[in-house]
Amino acid sequence: MQTILSIAIDAFAYGMALFIICIGLSLTMGLMRVVNLAHGAFAMIAGYIASYAARDLGLGYAVAIFLAIIGTVIISIPLERLLYRRIYGSPELTQVLMTIGITFCIIGITNYFFGPTLKSIPLPGSLSQPVDVGIRTIAGHRLFVMACGVVVAGGLWYLIEKTDFGIKLRATVDNAAMADALGVRTQVIYAISFAIAIGLAALGGVVGAEFLPIEPYYALRYMVTFLVVVSVGGAGSIPGAVVACLLLGAVDTTGRYLMPEFGNFFFYAAVIAIVCVFPRGFFGRAQ
Amino acid sequence: MAGVILIIAAGLAGYWLFPDNLALLTRVIAVALLVLSLDLITGYCGVASLGQASLFGAGAYAAGIACVNGVTEPVTLVAIGAVAGAMAGLLMGTIMLRAHGLAQLVLSIAIVQLFHEAANKASAYTGGSDGLAGLMVSPLFGVFEFDLWGRTAYLFGLALLVVVFVVLKFIVSSPFGMLCRGIKQDPVRIRAMGSYVFPVLLKMFVISGAVAGTGGALAAISTQVVGLDSVSFELSANALVMLVLGGLGTLYGALVGTVIFMGFEHVVSAINPFHWMTMVGALLIAVVLAAPGGLTGLYETLLGTGKRAKGGRT
Amino acid sequence: MKVSRKVLGAAIGALLAGTVSAYADTIKVGIIGPFSGPFALQGKNFQAGVEAYMALNGKSVKGHDIEVIYRDLPAANPAQSRALAQELVVKDKVQYLGGVYFTPDAMAITPLLKQANVPLVIFNAATSAIMTQSPLVVRTSFTTAQTTTPLGKIAVERGVKKVISAVSDYGPGVDAEVAFKKAFEAAGGQVVEAIRMPLNTNDFSPIMQRIRDSGAEAVFAFLPSGPTTLGFVKAYNETGLKQAGIKFFAPGDLTQESDLPALGDGALGLMTTFHYAVSHDSPENKTFVEAASKAIGGADQLSFPSVGAYDGMHVIYKMIEATDGKQDAQKAVDAVKGLSWTSPRGPVSIDAETRHITENIYLREVTKGADGKTYNKEIQTFPNQKDPGLATQ
Repeated sequence: MQTILSIAIDAFAYGMALFIICIGLSLTMGLMRVVNLAHGAFAMIAGYIASYAARDLGLGYAVAIFLAIIGTVIISIPLERLLYRRIYGSPELTQVLMTIGITFCIIGITNYFFGPTLKSIPLPGSLSQPVDVGIRTIAGHRLFVMACGVVVAGGLWYLIEKTDFGIKLRATVDNAAMADALGVRTQVIYAISFAIAIGLAALGGVVGAEFLPIEPYYALRYMVTFLVVVSVGGAGSIPGAVVACLLLGAVDTTGRYLMPEFGNFFFYAAVIAIVCVFPRGFFGRAQ
Repeated sequence: MAGVILIIAAGLAGYWLFPDNLALLTRVIAVALLVLSLDLITGYCGVASLGQASLFGAGAYAAGIACVNGVTEPVTLVAIGAVAGAMAGLLMGTIMLRAHGLAQLVLSIAIVQLFHEAANKASAYTGGSDGLAGLMVSPLFGVFEFDLWGRTAYLFGLALLVVVFVVLKFIVSSPFGMLCRGIKQDPVRIRAMGSYVFPVLLKMFVISGAVAGTGGALAAISTQVVGLDSVSFELSANALVMLVLGGLGTLYGALVGTVIFMGFEHVVSAINPFHWMTMVGALLIAVVLAAPGGLTGLYETLLGTGKRAKGGRT
Repeated sequence: MKVSRKVLGAAIGALLAGTVSAYADTIKVGIIGPFSGPFALQGKNFQAGVEAYMALNGKSVKGHDIEVIYRDLPAANPAQSRALAQELVVKDKVQYLGGVYFTPDAMAITPLLKQANVPLVIFNAATSAIMTQSPLVVRTSFTTAQTTTPLGKIAVERGVKKVISAVSDYGPGVDAEVAFKKAFEAAGGQVVEAIRMPLNTNDFSPIMQRIRDSGAEAVFAFLPSGPTTLGFVKAYNETGLKQAGIKFFAPGDLTQESDLPALGDGALGLMTTFHYAVSHDSPENKTFVEAASKAIGGADQLSFPSVGAYDGMHVIYKMIEATDGKQDAQKAVDAVKGLSWTSPRGPVSIDAETRHITENIYLREVTKGADGKTYNKEIQTFPNQKDPGLATQ
C-alpha cells in the first residue's frame, strides 16, 4: 500500500511537470491551430535565462522564474510577428517545416553562445530539502511542481471559461471571421494567446528542469513526448491535457517500477490503445 | 518518360561529377526511396506519418539478418527487404488507419518507437545499439564488388531508384492512384460513390512499405552495417521534412527535397561541423516563406503553369 | 630571371624528392565525431584533445605538415559514418582516420580500412568487439568492461555484499552490467537484482523505489553521460537513498567533469572508476588541461573524450613518424604495437595483440575542492588494466 501511494505521488509530480510544459502547446495547437514544434525551444530559452539569472547573477528563484517568463515572451514577439503570422492557417505540414526550422536555429544559436553543457537552475533551500509527508520523504521542488500544476490548470480554466477574454478567445477559435465581424479584435486575441502559451512554456521549462534538464538539444529531445501528450489529451482542451498528463505519467512511472526493461513498451502501447479508443484524444473537438 | 531520362541523366552526372562522394550519393538514393514511400501515403493519400522509418528499418534489418545468415546475393536481399517492408506497411496501415489527423500522427510516432524498442531488445538478432555488423554481400551478378569506391553500390542504387520510380509513376496515374487522390480530397464523397476507403489506403500502405523496405535494404547492402538509427523517429521526421521541402503529391518533389536537404546538410556540415544546424534551420524557414508549397510548387509558380489546387492545402 | 630561378628550384626539389622525403608535404588526418546535436559536448572534447596535442607538439612530424579535417556525425548512424569515411579517404585523401564516438559507426568504417590502406584510431567507441573487425584499428579510449571491472573488488572491500544493478538498456549498459556482475560475484558479492532502464527515462523515482525495495546495500549504475545522469543522481538524493546509506558505485561516465557543476552537491560521495579524471595530479596532465581548456574555451567543458583524442593524436603522430609520411597502414599499425608513453591519464601502452590501450583505472570519489567546486578525487589506482572483454575472446 505504501509502495502504491509512493508511486502515485511520483506519478502525480511527473504528470504535473509534463502538464505545465505541454499545456501551452495544447493551446497553440487547439485554439490557434498552429503545430508549434518549437514549443520546447521556448521552454529551453526560459531555462537558460533562469539559469543565468539564478546561478550567474545570484538572483532568487522566484525572480529567475519571473525574468525567464518575461524574457522568453519578449524574445518570442518578433518571431511571432515575422514568422508565425505567416503560417496561421497554412497547412499543418508547412507549419511543421517552419517550426522545425525555428527549432534548429534556436538549438544552433544556443549551442554557439552557451556551449553544450548542462545548465542547472539552483533551487532555494526550502525547495531542495526533502519534505516528510508522513509515508515517505519527497523532494520539496516536487511539491512545488504539483502546486504549480494545480494553479496553472485552475487559472487557465478560469481565464477561458469565466472571463471576457475567454469568451472572445473561444469565439475567435470557433469562427474567426464572424468574431471579427462582431468587433472582436482577433489579431490581438491571437497575439495574447500566443504570449500566454509561450509564457506557460517558459514556466514549464524552468520548474520542470529538475525532470528535463536544460541543454541545447532539449528542444528536440523531448519534442515527441510533448506532441504525444498533447494529442492524447486532445489539442486545446485543458481537462484533456490534465487527464493525459496524469494518466501517461502514471503509466510511465508504474511501468518503469514494475518492469523497467519494458518501460517504453508500456508507454507507447498505452498511447496506441488510448488513441484507438479516443481517436480525437480524450477531450478533443470534432474537426 | 522525360522525367525518367532526367533522373538517369542526373544520376549519371552525379557519378561523373562526384566520383569521390559515391557513398554519400548512395545514401541519398536510399533516403530518396524512403521519402518517395512517404509521399505515396502523405502526398497521395493525405495520411501524414512521423513513423515512416519503421518500414525502412524493417527492410534494412530483414536484409541485414538474411545476409548474416548466408543469403548474400544483393538482388535477393533487396527483394527480402521489400517484402519485409510491405509486411510492416500492412501492420502499420492497419493500426494507423483507425485514426485521423493528429491522432494518426501520434500513432505513427508510437509505432516507430515500438519498432525501435523491439530492435533494441532483440539484440541477439539485430545487434541492438551496437549495430548489426559483418554483412558480407557477394558481388552483384557475381562480378561487381561492393568496394571502397562504392561504384557498384551507387549504380545498383540508381538502377533500383529508376525502376521504382517508373513503377510508381504507373501506380499513381492508374485508376487506383486516382482513387487515392480522391480519398485525400474528400473521403466522404468517395465513400458515397460506393468505394471502400480502408482497403484502398491499406493497399497504398503496403506499396509504400515495399518501397521503403527497398531503400532500407539498399542502405544495409551499401553500408554493411544496420544501426538502430534506421528505425528511429529522427529519420522519420527528417523524411517528412524533406518531403514537405520538396513538395507533396509529386514524385519529383520527393526526389528534389531529398537531394536539396541532404546536399545542403552535407555541404554546410563540412564547412562548419559545429554550428551548421542553424543554417539548415534557416533554409527551412526561407523555403516556407518563399515557397509554402515546397520547391516543386515554387518551380511551377515560376513557370506559371502551377495548378491552383497545388500548394499542399488539404 | 625570377621565374627561371623558381623553375630551377622546383626542378632541384623534384630531384631531391626522389631520394630524400624531407620535402615538405601535407598529411591529412580525418576526424569523425559528434560535433553538433545531442552529443556535441563530446565532439568538442575530441576537437580540444586534438588541438591541444598539436599546440603542444607542433603541427608537423619529420617535416610532414599535419592537416586535420573534421567531419560531423551527430548521432549513431552507420550509413552516414561510412559515407563520411569514404569521402575522407577517396576525396580528401586522408592517410589516417580518427575519432568515432559510437560503436556502430566504427563498425561501418572497419570494412573500408584494408582497401583504403588507412588505419583507424578510435578516440572513444567503447565496445570490445570493434577490435576484432579489422587489424588496422587501434583504440586509445577504454572499454566499458575495462573501467567497470575493478568496481567488483572495490564494492566487496567496502563491505558490500548485496548490490542491485541499474543500467541503461543499450549496448554499453548491458556490457557494464555483465562486467560488474562477473567481477563482483568473483569477489564474493551477490547481485540481487539487475534492472535495465529505457534510455529515454526522464523520471527515475520509480527506479529508486525498486532499489529501495530490493534490500540491496549498494547500487551499481551505468548511464550515458549527459541529461539522464543528472536525473538519476538527483533522484538518488531526493528519494532519501543516500541518507538511508545505500552506496553508489558506477563507471566514471556518470560523473564526467562537465556534468559535475549541474549535479552540484548531490554528487558528493559518489564512487566511480574510470581511466581519466581532469583533476589527475601529474605534470603531463597539468600541461594537457591548460592546452585543452584553451582549445575548448573553458575548463568546465572538459571531459574524458578529450584525453582519448589527445592520446589518439599521439598514436597517429607515432605512426607518421614510423612510416615517414608514406601511406602504409599495416606498417603504421605495427609501429605502435607495444608503444608505451606517459599520457595525461597516467602510464599507458598499446597492447601488441589486441591493439587496445592498457591503462590505469582509478577509483575516484566526488569531493568538494578548496574553491567550492566538486571534482573527481582519485583515491585508489588499479595499474595496467587490459580490456577483460578482449582477453576472454
